[in-house]
Amino acid sequence: MPFDALNDVSDEALLVAYGNGDAEAARALTLRLTPKVLGFAARMLGGDRAEAEDVAQEAMLRLWRQAPSWRQGEAKVTTWLYRVVANLCTDRLRKASGVALDAVPEPEDDRPSAAEGLQQAARAAALDRALADLPERQRQAVVLRHIEGLSNPEIAAVMDIGVEAVESLTARGKRALAKALAGRREELGYDDG
Amino acid sequence: MAERPDLTDTELDGLFQAARDTAPMPSADLIARVIADAEAELEPGVEPAAPRPGILAAVLATIGGWPAAAGLATAAVAGLMIGIATPDTLQDLSGGYFAAAGYQLEDLLPSYGDLLGEG
Repeated sequence: MPFDALNDVSDEALLVAYGNGDAEAARALTLRLTPKVLGFAARMLGGDRAEAEDVAQEAMLRLWRQAPSWRQGEAKVTTWLYRVVANLCTDRLRKASGVALDAVPEPEDDRPSAAEGLQQAARAAALDRALADLPERQRQAVVLRHIEGLSNPEIAAVMDIGVEAVESLTARGKRALAKALAGRREELGYDDG
Repeated sequence: MAERPDLTDTELDGLFQAARDTAPMPSADLIARVIADAEAELEPGVEPAAPRPGILAAVLATIGGWPAAAGLATAAVAGLMIGIATPDTLQDLSGGYFAAAGYQLEDLLPSYGDLLGEG
């Protein structure tokens, strides 16, 4: 099948095609899903690029292994992947800290940034630091809702909780972020004074 | 330091937008590794389950493995060589041996001469 002809094919159809031995389908899925997986992993791991890449590769490998026994219509491929990534990140954060998840240390303020000086990069970096201080479930819900753009029912499926619980987690997460970042208004470009 | 007001929803949305704009893009190396994993999983050889034995393996197991197969091959080649070389060489060998004792091969195997005659 020509490569660009796969653009309109659903993730699930591509996965089933791969499960039947179609390597071209795997290439299309890789280009489509790896950015999502990597982005989510990076936000969950406090911006650690190398760790996020390892998680992304591992999550995709699990997807390939799942393909032959994928049950159509049971779950969205992205929902399944986000859940795998969340679990992998949780495991890594536990191993890294050796303590409770909520005690993730705050990254140093002066860590180097390739895009230093750019307002967007400064805002994203400040958000990463504030996200790292959130309890893990709040962080997961906020990232999936407001950065990855998932709907509340989708997040509920990823996190295996009810929609109301998702709403509660995102609301509390946003309040905590708004409070934590209040002192950084100047570096964020939000200083009206 | 004076107490600063919490960020508004609009301001927070600006941060989320910044995060989306600066989302890490996968490197070419990562993409290559993921595709390589996918292709490796398609290879039958990487299945964690034990490979199903083929026909050759089944035959070998029946006769006793590769050593038995080697012995069988040796015997087959030897038989072929004897078949090609006979009867003159066999006649010479056996004839020479038995001639020293005063016998011809026909004395020991009377039908041997008839067999040659028919050939």
